[in-house]
Amino acid sequence: MTSAQRPPSTEELIAILMSRDIRDWETCACGALSMMPAASMLLAEATHAPHIEVIILGSDELSGNLGKDIHFLSQRGKLDLFYHSAVQFDAEGNFNLHVLGDPDAPDRRLPGGYGSGLISYTAKRIFFYRTEHSLRTFVPKVDFISGASVTPAGVKRAPEPFRLYTPMAILSFDREAGRYIVESVHEGFTADDVRENTGFELDIADPCPVTPPVSDEELGMLRGEVRDRMIETGTYSQWAETALAP
Amino acid sequence: MGVPYIPVRGLAGTDVMERRDDMLMAYSPFDENELNVVAKAQNPDVAILHASKADEQGSAILRAFGEDVMIAQASAKVIVTAEEIVDRVAPGDPGGSYISSINVTAVVHAPGGAHPTAVDGYYEMDREHIEEYVLSSESDESFQRYLERYVLGKTEEEYQAIVSGRSLVAEPAG
Repeated sequence: MTSAQRPPSTEELIAILMSRDIRDWETCACGALSMMPAASMLLAEATHAPHIEVIILGSDELSGNLGKDIHFLSQRGKLDLFYHSAVQFDAEGNFNLHVLGDPDAPDRRLPGGYGSGLISYTAKRIFFYRTEHSLRTFVPKVDFISGASVTPAGVKRAPEPFRLYTPMAILSFDREAGRYIVESVHEGFTADDVRENTGFELDIADPCPVTPPVSDEELGMLRGEVRDRMIETGTYSQWAETALAP
Repeated sequence: MGVPYIPVRGLAGTDVMERRDDMLMAYSPFDENELNVVAKAQNPDVAILHASKADEQGSAILRAFGEDVMIAQASAKVIVTAEEIVDRVAPGDPGGSYISSINVTAVVHAPGGAHPTAVDGYYEMDREHIEEYVLSSESDESFQRYLERYVLGKTEEEYQAIVSGRSLVAEPAG
């Protein structure tokens, strides 16, 4: 960052990093309460991926009332990209969006399993995101398996490893090896920071690649065109107004 | 649909599978290498569905999106509650999904029957009430208080009177 722009917030950073990895012509969708995914799709569409299909189920104008269609599209193996968050991720690539604590007497109940249990198995690519990189998020064993990465050989899965975006790093899960790999660490953090805040072992190259920093253009576009589009189309307008304020 | 079970992609290895006995893993009868979840049909004894319009034969217009028609077709008995009872509901009528009387057991005139949720073209959702419901559900005690205030010992008319804004703390009539 060389200009006077305010540095990116965690939410802006994650939206921008996810947007870079969208491929042109992909059919991309996100579910409810998916502000960062929505912003990332619209940013990609406004920059390097003008031909993507954008489906934002939580949006007034960009949802197309496609809930069921998205499910069937994904079951047919034709949904290119879906977004997902979870409260816990574990060493074996399981993730939890159901409960914290004992499942029979939970401390917290969460929205649960539709996307985790179905779409994360059938979409061609999954981008996971989490706004904190901490020991309570990256645990040795999740409290409840909402979705599993490693499944028996007969279960058909898309071949690409899922990617996981955090404020510290980009990870991917290697299903064959059953391990997380650190793809890159963001500026301002080290491989040790990532290790210390992850409750299981990671594969980290030495030296670890550095995530290319957010550019003025990306940030300007996000706070300008993308924010306007979100407000105009009833796509988390309140969030866009404040979180992406110029 | 009337199918006894249905294969679904997903859910393998989850705790959802561990905790349910109506879903299991099975190889495809057409491909010995393909493993999927098989979910048993859900067939409720009774479904209660809210319509905007219904006729006396039981044909009705259910909400536009959602699974209402499928739920009706899966259930042994179907009670349709409706904002309005009209002379005739026909396929293609606007405002939602048509369901034929062949699927319906009984019809009840119940204006306001979707409260605190919305009926398109009739009323908006009652956000305050939904919030109160959610907060009440935090403990057994507070939920009991909710039930006593709105449900237990109340007729439909009393419930509608309480929630129509006369007072959220109205005393039960009689």
